[in-house]
Amino acid sequence: MQNLHIPATSYSPQVDFDFARHQLSLRGESYPENASVFFAPIMAALDAYLAPLDHVRISVDVQLAYFNSASTKAILAVFERLNAAAVAGNYVTVNWHSDPDDDTIMEFGQEIAEDNPALDVHLLELA
Amino acid sequence: MSLDHFYRFQDLARQQSVVFYYTGYFSQAIVSAMGDALRQRLNQTDASNMQRRKLFSVFIEMAQNVVHYSAEHLSASDSTDQEIRRGALWVGEQDGHFYVVCANPVAREQVGRIRDKLMPLLGMSNDDIKQLYKQKLRSDNDAESKGAGLGFLTVARDATEPVEFDFIDEDGPLSPITMFYLKASI
Repeated sequence: MQNLHIPATSYSPQVDFDFARHQLSLRGESYPENASVFFAPIMAALDAYLAPLDHVRISVDVQLAYFNSASTKAILAVFERLNAAAVAGNYVTVNWHSDPDDDTIMEFGQEIAEDNPALDVHLLELA
Repeated sequence: MSLDHFYRFQDLARQQSVVFYYTGYFSQAIVSAMGDALRQRLNQTDASNMQRRKLFSVFIEMAQNVVHYSAEHLSASDSTDQEIRRGALWVGEQDGHFYVVCANPVAREQVGRIRDKLMPLLGMSNDDIKQLYKQKLRSDNDAESKGAGLGFLTVARDATEPVEFDFIDEDGPLSPITMFYLKASI
């Protein structure tokens, strides 16, 4: 299926879903005016990509400097889908980056790991 | 307003250590541009990285609240994107703390709903607020909410003191519109 690439703006992240290589990344800032409008096509592409996968190694890289409350909810939904794919027999590694001064983003990475035990989550420092 | 009035206005802002003040129409583009300016301004202060991040978070949640919910809009009332609505926002510094205050007109019939969302947060510890946030994050969206319905909770979570709020009848008690003020200290 077609890869998904959305360039970053000052308030929305760069989305690079290289489905052919099974590498997904989110980088930058996320506070679009309407997070559900922004994330809807991302979720749709992710669902279409994940549905037929079996025994595939997927690598997810998240380097977000800031995300607002509505984006937080959408990001959680992304990881719920990935967790379901891992439960269904795929292997999903998540590299979750946060600034060492940012407890909120680091703790949210921990919560994602706790909520979605089928994911292999690594908490890393943002470079 | 004469130039003398503008001077007094500026002087009051200076005395109160207002770092940033905006009143008028809020759109996503304006919020984003103000956010960039605020970040740069905060880089010149003694604020810790943690303080800057929390302040930015409170600023964005409050400013986007105006874009989504202010009762006075230039955009169509039923739109959910590309909105432009009226409000005001202050960022100031006081005794080593920062505060963000936001004001926007709301329909009087919304007062009860806003009060019901904010009142329970006032008496809660930071840990309790975090727990409530976690719980709400995983529950279904409030039907009337355009975001995740987590804006006030995020503001309360990032504030170092209980938030303060008030409704001021600028156009008298019979007006269908009242001004909603929300303040958070960081």
